[in-house]
Parts: sequence; C-alpha cells; structure tokens
Amino acid sequence: MISGTGIVKTFRQRGDVLGKNEVKALRGVDFTIPEGGAISFIGESGCGKTTLGRIIAGLETHDEGEITIGGVAMSSLRTRAQQPHFRRIQLIHQDPYSALNPTRTVHQALHDPLKLRARETGRSSQWIYERAEELLGLVGLDPGYVLPRYPHQLSGGMRQRVVIARALTVDPDVLVADEAVSMIDVSLRLGILRLLRDLREQLGVSLLYITHDVATARYIGADGDMYVIYRGQVVESGPTETIINQPVHPYTQSLLSAIPVLYGVEQPGAEQVTPIDSLTTAAVGETVDDAGCLFAPRCPFRTERCTRERPVLGDAVPALQDAEGRVHACFHPIERQVAATSVQAP
Amino acid sequence: MTSGAPTGLSTTRGDLRRNFWRGVWRVLRRKPSRLLGVALMLMFVVMATAGPMLYQRPLPRDPDNFFAPPSLQHPFGTDFQGVDVLSLVVVGSRYVLLTAFITAVITVVLGTGIGLFAGFRRGRLDAVLMRITDINLTIPGLPILLVLSTVWQFASPWEMGLVLGLLGWGALARAVRSQTLSLRERGFIEAARGLGLSTPHIVFRELLPPIAPYIAMNLLMSLILAVWAQVGLFFLGVMPVIGENWGVMLNRAVFDFGAMTTAARLPYMLAPLLALLLLTVAIVLVVDAMDEVFNPRLREE
Amino acid sequence: MTLATAAHAPEGGTTAPAVRIRDLTVVYKTPAGELPAVSEIDMDLPAGTITGLVGESGSGKSTLALSLLNAVQPPGRISSGTVEIDGLGDVVPLQGDKLRRVRGGQIGYVFQAAQNSLNPLKTVGKQLLDLGRSHDVDDLRALVSEAKELLGRMGLDGARVLDSYQHELSGGMRQRVGIMLALVLNAHVVVLDEPTTALDMITQANILEIIRNIHAERGLTTLVITHDIGVVAEVADQLAVMYGGRIVERGPVRSVLGEPRHPYTQGLIRAIPRLTGDIDQARALPGRPPTLGTIPERGCVFRDRCELRMSVCDTVEPVLERHADQLVACHAVAGQEPDGGAPTDDGQEQT
Repeated sequence: MISGTGIVKTFRQRGDVLGKNEVKALRGVDFTIPEGGAISFIGESGCGKTTLGRIIAGLETHDEGEITIGGVAMSSLRTRAQQPHFRRIQLIHQDPYSALNPTRTVHQALHDPLKLRARETGRSSQWIYERAEELLGLVGLDPGYVLPRYPHQLSGGMRQRVVIARALTVDPDVLVADEAVSMIDVSLRLGILRLLRDLREQLGVSLLYITHDVATARYIGADGDMYVIYRGQVVESGPTETIINQPVHPYTQSLLSAIPVLYGVEQPGAEQVTPIDSLTTAAVGETVDDAGCLFAPRCPFRTERCTRERPVLGDAVPALQDAEGRVHACFHPIERQVAATSVQAP
Repeated sequence: MTSGAPTGLSTTRGDLRRNFWRGVWRVLRRKPSRLLGVALMLMFVVMATAGPMLYQRPLPRDPDNFFAPPSLQHPFGTDFQGVDVLSLVVVGSRYVLLTAFITAVITVVLGTGIGLFAGFRRGRLDAVLMRITDINLTIPGLPILLVLSTVWQFASPWEMGLVLGLLGWGALARAVRSQTLSLRERGFIEAARGLGLSTPHIVFRELLPPIAPYIAMNLLMSLILAVWAQVGLFFLGVMPVIGENWGVMLNRAVFDFGAMTTAARLPYMLAPLLALLLLTVAIVLVVDAMDEVFNPRLREE
Repeated sequence: MTLATAAHAPEGGTTAPAVRIRDLTVVYKTPAGELPAVSEIDMDLPAGTITGLVGESGSGKSTLALSLLNAVQPPGRISSGTVEIDGLGDVVPLQGDKLRRVRGGQIGYVFQAAQNSLNPLKTVGKQLLDLGRSHDVDDLRALVSEAKELLGRMGLDGARVLDSYQHELSGGMRQRVGIMLALVLNAHVVVLDEPTTALDMITQANILEIIRNIHAERGLTTLVITHDIGVVAEVADQLAVMYGGRIVERGPVRSVLGEPRHPYTQGLIRAIPRLTGDIDQARALPGRPPTLGTIPERGCVFRDRCELRMSVCDTVEPVLERHADQLVACHAVAGQEPDGGAPTDDGQEQT
C-alpha cells in the first residue's frame, strides 16, 4: 500500500525570494493506493495531477507531507535509501515516442533493467532472455517481431506496450499511467487500457491512472477511488461510480458536463453545469490566491461565503462527508445528474 | 513475422552488430560521393601508417635534378635537393595525420566528457565546468602557440596534437552540454532512472548514442581544423621550419624558392596543397554520411 | 447527392458556399513509388453545414483538408480530381498569387496544433497586420477592429490579446487566436484541423461551443477534422469516416453514430469508453491502422481488421452506396440489404 498525506509542492523561479512568481502546484493532498487497487486523479491540465504522479514515482521532490510505501515513511530515509522503494512504483509516460531511446532496440531497452534484476536475484543470463519474451507476451506483443526492432519501426500502440513491458521488468507494485493513451490512435487506445486492467488482474499490480478523461478512468478502475483535483487541491474524492453518477462538487460536475456526448447513442445529463469561462476570469480568479474557495471565481453556484472562506476536504463539518466514503470540499454540495446516459436504440 | 525461438535471442547482440554494419554500408552506398570519401580517407590512413616505411631514410637525393618537372619517375617533380616531391608528401603525411588524429581525440574526449558531465549533473559543478569552458573558448590560440614555439620545437606530432587538442575542446563541450540538457528531460532518461539503472549506464548507454552523430561530426570537423591549423602554423613560419611536414614544404616552396613566380617550382607547392585538398574533401564527404550512420531511422530506410 | 438539410441557415445576404470534391487523389512520392494518401474521394460540404471528418493517423484526413486549399506540400501532389467551391470554381489548377489570395481570403484554415502555429517573435497584432498586408487589405484599422470583435466574441479581451506574444497565451487562447486569424478576412469556408487536440475537457467544450456559434452567426461552411468522434458528435451536422485514404461511411451525424453500418465505424464507436452503462460494452478494435506503405493496392482497405471479411473483399474495392440515410463502402453491408443499390456495375472480374 502506498499513501500520502498533506503533500505540498510549490514551484519557485530561481532567485524569486519574495515568492512573487511561485506556483502552488499541490496544496496538501492526501491519497491512498490500496494493494492491487486502482485509483485515478482527474483534472484539467495544470491542476497538479501530473506533478503528484511524478512525486509518487519518486521523480520529483515535495516540500511538505509524507509518502509511505509499504509501511515505510520516506521522510525517515535518505535519498539513496528511498530509491529501492520508489522503484516499486513505475511511471508510464504519456508520450511513447520520447519514452523509448530512439537509438536502442527493444531488446536493449528490456535487457538492461532485467540484467540488473538478474544480478540482484542471482539469476542466469538465460533468465533475462526468457523473461524479456515472457513480458512481451504479457503485454500482447510478438517477441520475435518486436525484440530486434527500433522504436521508430513500431506503431504508437506497440511502443506504449513496450514501455509497459519495460516498467514490468522490475516487478513493480504500482504502475502510474499519466495520460497513457492520449497520444495513441483512437482504435488502439482501448487495447492499452484493457491491457492495464488485465495486468492488474493477472499480476495484482496497483494502478494510478492520471487523466482529464473521466470515461477512460472509469474503464480502468470502476471499482476504485477517483480523486478530482483542482488547482492543487482535491475537491472531491470517493468511489468512481459515485463520483460519476452523483457528483456534488460543482467542479466535478463541470468536468463531467464537458465530456462530449455521443448524440445518437447518448443523451446529455439532465442537470449539466457550465463553468464560467476560465479566460474571462483569468484576470481575477486564476492567479490571485485569496481566502475563498479556489473554484469560487468560476463556480456558477458560489455564494458570499465561498469567496470568504475556503472549504477543506472532509473537514469536521459533517455535511462535507457522506457515508459512501466520499469526501468533498464544497459548502453547498448538491447532487446533480450530469453524466451522459445511453439512449436505448429504437 | 515468425516467432523467435528462445535460443535465437542469445545471438541478438551479434545480429545487432551485423545489422549496424549492413546499415552503414547501405548509407554509404546511397551516395557514391560517400564511398569516394571513405576510399580517400583509407588511402590517407594507409599513406600515413605504411607510406613512410616504403622509403629509405634519409630520402634519396638526385643532385643532378633540382626542381625537375613532373615525369613518370617523379610524378610531382623534385625539390631543391632533388628529392622526389611525392615521397616528401607521403613521408610528411604521418606528422599531419597523426597530429590531426591526436587533436581530434583530445577534443572529443574532453569536449564530450565535460559536456556530458556538466549537462547531466547540472548545479554548481555545471557552472564551474562551463566557466572553464568559456575560458577555453576565449583563449587566443595563435599567441599561445607563438610563445610555446619559442620553448618547444614541436618536432613530435604528439606535442603538436596535445596543444591543439587542449586549445580546441570548448565548442564541442558547449554543444554536447546543450544536447545533454535537452535529452535528460526526455522520458527515456527518466525511465532509466526510475528503473534504478546506474549513472554510468544512463550516461554511456542512453545519453551517448543519441549524441553520437554530433560527436562524430565534430570529430571529423576538428580533424580538418587540426590539419589546417598545423599546416598553417608551419607554413607561416610560426613553427621552426624543420621536419617532415606538408606545412614545411609549403613554407619552403613559397618563401624560399619562389614557387608563386617560377613555373618550374610550382609542383613543389601544388603537391602538398593537393594532398590537403583531397584530405579535406574526403572528410567533408564522410561527414555527410554521419547523421544517417548513427540514426537508426535514417540508416534503415 | 447532397444529404444535408442545411441545419444552420446563414443569416444576412452572404450565403455560405458549398464545396464539391470529385475524384480527388493525392499521392506522395516515396522510395517505393508514388503512393496514394487520398484515393478517388468524392465528397460534398453542403452550404452552411458543419462536416466532421474522422480518421486515425495516416487515414489521409489532413491531406484531404490541405487539398481544399490546394496546399499539399511536396513530396505530395494532387494527381487528379477537382475541388470546386461556389464562387471560386475549381481550386486545384490555381497557382501563385491567385492561390495565395484564396487561402485565408476565402478559405480559412486553423492548423493542427494551432497552439504552436503562431510566430513566437511577433505579437498577435503584428501577425494580423502581416496577414492583412499580404492580402492587400486597404483598411488595416477596420481589420484590427474586426479582429477585436471576433476575439471579444470568443470571450477574450481583444486589445490585450493583440498585444500579446504566443507564450503569454494559454492553449485555449491560442486556439481562439487561430480561429480569429482564419476568419478575420471574411472567409466563408473554414477548415479546422484537430481543433481540440491537447486541450483539456473544459477548454475543449468551450472551443466547440465557439465553433458552433461562430459558424451559425457568420454563415460558414465548416469542415472539422479530428480523430475524436466525440468532438464531431458535439458540433457537426454531417460525418464522414476516413480509413486508409478512402471515405468508408458518411451521412448525418446522428444516423451514423446511432446506427453505424461500416464495420470500421462500428468498431470505432464501440471502442469509446462511456461514463455510464456496462464497462465491458467498450471493446478494442483488433489490428492497427495502415500506413502509406501498407495500404493494400486492391480490395477493401479495412479487410485485415474486419470481422465481416469475405473473399470478394480481397479483390474488389467497395464503393460508397446508399443505405437509408448513409453512404457506406462495404461489401458485407451491401450484401445484407438487397435494396441497397446494385452491386458494382463493373467489368472488374477477378484477374
């Protein structure tokens, strides 16, 4: 199990002592990745979800808060001692084109981490070859075809599968997939998502899926938790189906309303929410960090209280927490049906 | 799309090497000029290694035949002592090429090493290394050589190559550093780090290959620079006019024997010039192939 | 042949021009010879409609769109066919100055990744003036005020945006600037290439709404090119599905989405995960899309990934035939419905 509490990350420009240009990427985020479970981080670009994923994968440091991997608190270890723990969490990059070295064949890409693994566990070099084939088979590739090839000779979907196979070389506990299908041809996307799901079932590896596309997050982890992140703060989290079908935070509702409706197959949700256009509020809302709710400047339901006070996720206020394990940060939580539903074919 | 048998895999490394050379051959064949370049380069390498062994030392003189015109026996005529000019060019090639080679190796090793290290490590070390690089870039090479030549004879190509190499690595270090800086942000470097691969592995296996075409091109270009720099120094008389070297030949031909004004003495000057020209052409033609040789995509297509 | 009921009637005196593409073939020169990226396409953009063109990478959709401007770059060239635009005639033979005026002047183009197609060294306003000068606009002042109005219409502060450099604008803002530049010279045919790729959902929804509104207000004929069926479902009246350089199905959006007939269209729609309903309804399409080099020379381009493959698919290329509201190019579909038009009237026996 991997959990984080109160993760804070602030990006500062070099020499910016007064903090004028600092960007608060994360403002105290809690999360839990259960063993063998699947969770997702949902939000717009720039909301901090990618930064959080990178912190969890050990590729970025955080300023405050604690990450616990398998019961070990990372703050108690030196950087070097943290590495074996973070290695159990592997990041699948968004871009399969830059995630593979263009000058190295698939065989080379898999061979090196496997060799390291073989050395650690005292296995033979024959094992390396067998394992490389086994892993490629696991991700649905033909080893004989793929192994001697360079990345440019493979399609985007095949590349992403190689990236996943490479991540599996270290037998990770968690795969962090950051928009893992956004750069892949549409007809091939579902195959990759399916693969991630299968890996979870077959190997018991946990998934952390980071995206702005709620539907793919549902496909990957309908039984897991979803964390909706806005400007570095989790504004609503809970079981995925609950969040989709009974969202209470206006931001979650806006995100769900923005998903294109497949007219002819689907009909839009009855109570769709359109957020105030971010660009018209850019001058006031997005850059100034006042005391109120972070979403208030764009929220169509804001009240005077929202601009004065900032709601905290699952705070002592009982209204902010409900029974299904869902927590939210909103003073006026009202369930709205915004997700598109299927139309029955005539 | 045959499924590979497990036993076939162990040969993958050998296959890779074979495929690489097959790819190189394909790249060269794509343009005949590249084959010509490689042939010329090989010719010069043979000339510099085996050439001097063909002649007895000191080179035989023909005292009756000063500045003989080109003939079958002396394709480029003879010099002021009746020595065959062709043999002078062949014997002189060793100094020129060895110096160029040493210069290029020092340039590449220092430039690549410092650039990679600075770009990969970043931080304070990067700042220090880059200041040193800037100093290297601003060192006025000619005055230093002038001063050094009063102390040193530069009779050995090693001395010459060492000095030219130490003076010339700055530009490559800067270029390699900027390449490294952009590459280290790429996903595959991050992935390698996330997989727990060692720093030497990341630097030499992941970073170096994508930069290889730049380094190879720089190696070849610094060969050209080193050739012209040393020949120029000897020609201008900055260095003592002794030894077997194309620059020395040119200096004597122009300044001592008036090759510019006397037609009969022209071959004595043209022969080393022609050698220089061919060597430069050879390198330029090979440089043209470098990008394709080191880029698997261009190599295969 | 026109399927459309012009859904958005243009207002005012200007009528949106219709576009007729006939027998269009675009080939690319490769070491293996000239290969067609777009083969013998017939397509209409009915006046005043939004047509969505859906396809994956390598389907030829961007090449087709560039042909509307006669802007296919070497090594590609339009090898045959015509692109007729009302009021302009065939644009394929146009050249030089005349062609340059038509581009931007009558046909607006919002490039793929418009976020990155602005000059980073010039303010948006400077680029606008450059555009005006290159089209010999006399009244630059009017051009600027038109631009400000358009930007204002899209929810931006026009004056501020014109004074900005590319890096000072967000992705959504740049996309709006791209749309402004395409429309400011009063173009009435507009092509948007992947207008929402790389934008997040909320920005995408905003941009799609802008496209819909501006289209209706200005009386345009719009072509939206995308790989995302959802985007088309949101904005378009007509939908054309491209695969391997051919149009395999087209018709009104809701009929095609509600009752897709071509196996590829069916597969694409089935491969979209949904927000509600059974998760495992979504199924992946097997195989992978063809590239320029792997498009088969004969027969159906989709057959390698097709569940309904028959022996005739290997040899005879299916042509678009009418089935209810849609045109479909598939032998299997043609066989299912005997009323669906005669089989190809050809002498193409198997060779």
